[in-house]
Amino acid sequence: MGVPLTFRLMEKRYLTPELRAHLEGLEIADTGHGFDSFGLNEEWIRAGAGVFAPLYDSWFRVDSTGIEHVPTEGGAVLAANHAGTIPIDGMMIWNDVLRKTTPPRVVRTVMDHFVNLLPAISIIFGRCGAVGGSRGNFHELLERGELISVFPEGLPAIGKPWSDRYTLCDWRQGHAEMAIRHGVPIVPIGVIGSEEQLPTLMRLPIHLFGLPYLPIPASPVPLPTKYHIYYGEPIPVHEDYRRDQADDADVVREASERVKAAVAGLLQRGLSERTGVFR
Amino acid sequence: MSRSVLVTGATTPLGVAFVNSLLADPEVSNVLALGVEERPAALVEHPELTYARSDLRRPRHIRRLLSGPVRELGIDTIVHTALHRSARDEGGAIHKLNVESTRLLLRLAAASEHIKHFVYRSDATVYRVRVSAPQVLREDHALELTPDAPQWVRDRVEGDVIVCTHMGLVDLRIMVLRCAEILAPNMGSQLADWLGSRMTLRPMGFDPMVNLLSLGDASEAMRLAVHSDKQAILNVPGADTLPISRVAERNGRRCVDVPGPLMGPLYRLRGRARKGDFRYDLNHNRFHFSMVLDGRRASEVLGYQPSHPLQWPAVPAIRG
Repeated sequence: MGVPLTFRLMEKRYLTPELRAHLEGLEIADTGHGFDSFGLNEEWIRAGAGVFAPLYDSWFRVDSTGIEHVPTEGGAVLAANHAGTIPIDGMMIWNDVLRKTTPPRVVRTVMDHFVNLLPAISIIFGRCGAVGGSRGNFHELLERGELISVFPEGLPAIGKPWSDRYTLCDWRQGHAEMAIRHGVPIVPIGVIGSEEQLPTLMRLPIHLFGLPYLPIPASPVPLPTKYHIYYGEPIPVHEDYRRDQADDADVVREASERVKAAVAGLLQRGLSERTGVFR
Repeated sequence: MSRSVLVTGATTPLGVAFVNSLLADPEVSNVLALGVEERPAALVEHPELTYARSDLRRPRHIRRLLSGPVRELGIDTIVHTALHRSARDEGGAIHKLNVESTRLLLRLAAASEHIKHFVYRSDATVYRVRVSAPQVLREDHALELTPDAPQWVRDRVEGDVIVCTHMGLVDLRIMVLRCAEILAPNMGSQLADWLGSRMTLRPMGFDPMVNLLSLGDASEAMRLAVHSDKQAILNVPGADTLPISRVAERNGRRCVDVPGPLMGPLYRLRGRARKGDFRYDLNHNRFHFSMVLDGRRASEVLGYQPSHPLQWPAVPAIRG
């Protein structure tokens, strides 16, 4: 399935000449037919950058600090807070890293398994680099030296109550284990703006396409909150721990707690620096 | 060291390609090609080639083969590639060919003094494909052991497991090659059967990645396995990794998206009307979720690298 016409038109309309030129530097591990073995495709990345551009530039007016902390080569795990009913935070991180790294790097966003059961969405996300959240995928991508973005709070965080915004939920540890095992750093990310974008009114117990529930948002469209993405200094788990310590539960817990504390610190900083939800 | 090789399933396109590659190999001194049919014309005439007819479903035929021509020709390596190729056929006779012949060949090979190597051509069907599975599969990935799996799958898993469980138990060097799908006619390829009409159906909104193997690469991997003294289970990926919609496109077929729940009934109807061999129930998961074999172990152990991409169209055009 090729890139749909609507996406091509949006790409033509919203991709600036500078951004188009920047994306010329994209390099993917093409297996011979224009795709990598996970389905990533350059045409779709360009189209994705075009489709997300109005959201990134005009609706959420994303700004970011600390992009220099994202490695320009080699593997790394990007770990961020998660919220907002629909995973716009993941899309904005994907866009931000794609635009601001040179050469442009495609973040491989780790999605919950149910996303791969969603018709069309599974294709769009897959072609733009997202992968299902299995250990095997994580392992393979880190071995290839890719950037992986994860939300250690997992799916429950996306439906976080309004009163819990910017409070980190249960913090999973798999990302720390995999980073230690593969000897890569973890870059903590604090996303400000996502946790107010679409408050959930209620959850209906409808499990269409494997969805854990059907969220009923308080607004028909996401609110135009101002996004601020803070990339923290990389946590050098690859230097602080030996690879064989990936099997040590205490070490993994300690490493993941360091990541959690770093993300919480970035959120504190972001909340204190912003002047309003929409500014 | 020179090898004398018995090849089962020698009348299939893969068997023919493999036997011909062995005959071109100076390190192979004798080839005993085995098939149930008449000798295929595509097998080259060669002084080092002996063709024998034998029905592997019959234990007596296998015993006669091992005590006769295999011994006389000094065969030291068995390459077992025979698998029933029609997914619509089921029953005891199919099981005998797919599973029981493997078990008996292994037992007799282990008891033989001169047979030292056993290469088994398995395939990627043995792997469990689920939404939660990784997209790139290694050899330690879970096998499809679901009890309600169709016989097509169960037989392949059982054959694979039988051979794997003999590793270390018998005095044979055993190599299991889990090949990606060989996209060629008459190879039992479900994708080739799927492409058997001008218009192919695909579940709407899904376009998973598939990895396809050419006859050239499959026979090269088996040839390398014949010469290896190692014992291993190896994935054999092909050079072509692409979305399933591109497979249809590159073969000149029109791909029509239909809602997923209609795929099964539509293909059942088509199967009844046109006697096609494609079974959607066998392919449901691979039409939704990507599955690509990781070939790093084959590269390390055998030095195998896929280097023969498919020649498109890989499945002949539909005439009439």
